[in-house]
Amino acid sequence: MEALARQGVDIIFGYPGGVVLPLYDEMLKWPEIKHVLVRHEQCAAHMADGYARVTNRVGVCLATSGPGATNLVTGIANAVMDSIPMVAITGNVNSWAIGKDAFQETDIQGITIPITKHNYLVTNVDDLPYALEEAFFLANTGRKGPVLVDIPKDVFIAKTSMPFPEKIVRRGYSLPGAPKPSEIEAAAEMLKNAKRPVAIAGAGVVWSETSPQLRALAEKSDLPIINSLLGLGSMDRQDPRSMGMMGMHGEASSTIAVQNADLVIGIGIRFDDRLTGKTNGFAAKANIIHFDIDPSEFGKTVDTHVTVSGDLAQSLAAFVEAAPEKNHAEWWSEIRAWQQEFPIVVPEGTKQFLARHVLKEINDATRGEAIVSTDVGQHQMWTAQLYKFREPKNWVTSGGLGTMGFGLPAAMGAKFARQDMEVWAVVGDGGFQMTLQELQTAVENKLDVNICLINNGFLGMVRQWQELFYDNRYSHVAMGSPDYGKLADAYGVKFFRCSRREDLAATIKAAREHEGPTLCEFVVEMEENVFPMVAAGMTNDNLVMDPALPKPELAEVSK
Amino acid sequence: MSALLKDPLDTGIHQHTITALVQNEAGTLNRLVSLFRRRGFSLASLNAGDCEQEGFSRLTLVVRGDDSDLYQCLRQLDKLIDVVSVEDLQAENAVERELALIRVEPTVENRDAVFQIAGEFYARTPRASSTGFVIEISSSPREIERLISALTPYGVTEVVRSGLVAMRV
Repeated sequence: MEALARQGVDIIFGYPGGVVLPLYDEMLKWPEIKHVLVRHEQCAAHMADGYARVTNRVGVCLATSGPGATNLVTGIANAVMDSIPMVAITGNVNSWAIGKDAFQETDIQGITIPITKHNYLVTNVDDLPYALEEAFFLANTGRKGPVLVDIPKDVFIAKTSMPFPEKIVRRGYSLPGAPKPSEIEAAAEMLKNAKRPVAIAGAGVVWSETSPQLRALAEKSDLPIINSLLGLGSMDRQDPRSMGMMGMHGEASSTIAVQNADLVIGIGIRFDDRLTGKTNGFAAKANIIHFDIDPSEFGKTVDTHVTVSGDLAQSLAAFVEAAPEKNHAEWWSEIRAWQQEFPIVVPEGTKQFLARHVLKEINDATRGEAIVSTDVGQHQMWTAQLYKFREPKNWVTSGGLGTMGFGLPAAMGAKFARQDMEVWAVVGDGGFQMTLQELQTAVENKLDVNICLINNGFLGMVRQWQELFYDNRYSHVAMGSPDYGKLADAYGVKFFRCSRREDLAATIKAAREHEGPTLCEFVVEMEENVFPMVAAGMTNDNLVMDPALPKPELAEVSK
Repeated sequence: MSALLKDPLDTGIHQHTITALVQNEAGTLNRLVSLFRRRGFSLASLNAGDCEQEGFSRLTLVVRGDDSDLYQCLRQLDKLIDVVSVEDLQAENAVERELALIRVEPTVENRDAVFQIAGEFYARTPRASSTGFVIEISSSPREIERLISALTPYGVTEVVRSGLVAMRV
């Protein structure tokens, strides 16, 4: 507990059990650290994750040995994929019983080796102060990530006079420093010569808190700024140079711009397959510059021409300095034409009640200023398309792992961290049913989180794929639901159901005005699809546009 | 990388010798091996042992792959917290050795021939029994292969190899 207090931890998300009893007993003496009792350990990890994403501080979760620890696994895997600073503390059986298949024993260190930045099994209490201090250091420096500390019961009980370390020194782990001047020069030269440049900014910009530098770069070099899914918010979506997300379900204009660019500058992104499409057709006409804190990302999925390694706080700042002042009027006029021709469609003159109507209304009502979380799937893509984030660290979504059930607990973690902010959890009927037990936690903590439940009676994205790629053969994607009104009543959560567009604005207004958790069920059209779309395994030249657009044929992507 | 002097018959797949200095901790070796499995790198051999620094080990890994596999492998290894440093050793700048123990069970009339072959390879025969010998050789993997081939007609019943160890000159 002292280690947590030293780190300035103000909240931990956890669930007690046999071997962590000594820690829970000690906890009573530390009122400055709030403990949130979750209803499933997976959600403790997701709450710590949500907390970390909106604060850029380490989120802490705690579970007991065996099933408690294994229940954290999905949450830790989610955090490692999205480079989230997190410390997970697990109890284990007494150190002398480890390896003997004791009651509730599991090898959580072995299990989490591939999904943590680092992990520890601390069998000697003298090692504990250093291990905990280092765990926080590793989680929140360099490329961030989850660190797990597994502590046997007897080590919890044992006392040590070992002091906490003044400074963490770990051979072979150095903090990424300044970029090489030659790399910055090469990148600036390339930008100077480019006629059709774009930048793709990712989560690296969010974690390094370099949004201002990104915005300065956009202005100085008149650079179109595209975002990866997790980079949303790093550029104000109201800024005329912000082009939104690209890729599988991104803005068609952004994807087309990249395919036609002569220079692509990746800034804190990892060229994920959902963004690049089939990599050998990605930005085929472009030179590629890659800024990243993690050199193992260079050349991992796409070949690059210039790499700039180091912390964006230094490298992006240096690049803004070195970047030429430019004006790309001609390039912008092409981009504007694509934006006009291929916008994200929110149908107006329809009798149908669509998920897109709901998300657009939430955006309009909150002016893009709320914290919004999602699960994974259609509702996530619509949110990414339609929620116009103004600031970084307001977007809490499961990007890399694509975890159903993430949205609600992550929103709760975010709300615990930012009581001043309006928080919306956008979830589907599938994902919500995976973690809805946390409604109880929300009620107990009077947590003012609004849940936007998009109920289309299907696992929407899977259904969309079955429609498009499996010839409409729907296999186990119809999703039954309980009566959410009764469910909300049972938990004591304020409930709204809306199944007509006419009631939409009033429903959202009422939910926003209500203090405490709300569950807003939007019963929407069942078979709505997300467009545009690049099918998995295809290059980004194969954009399928929204059929509602005037020219439904393949876009003239490659000129 | 070195695309200029590419042999047209070269598939780009090469064997690389990587050495690493790692901190001894619970799970260190597990973490390394897990990385190879998870990322699909082809690990031909792995050798780990104590070194001149207390609390640290030196590893020699033989990895098969093209240049980009190798780059990825080095960077991913370097990223592990308990890995202090990694190096891609070039054969011309390194001493590379492997130890092999080869059990041969020749007929009585072939015993002398086996001794003679061992002698030609500067191999030792530390243990003999009524049925055969254990032959010990420390050499390059290629030389070891040659010795095994030479002994095979005389009845090789067991081979134990240490995997490569290497040191930069």
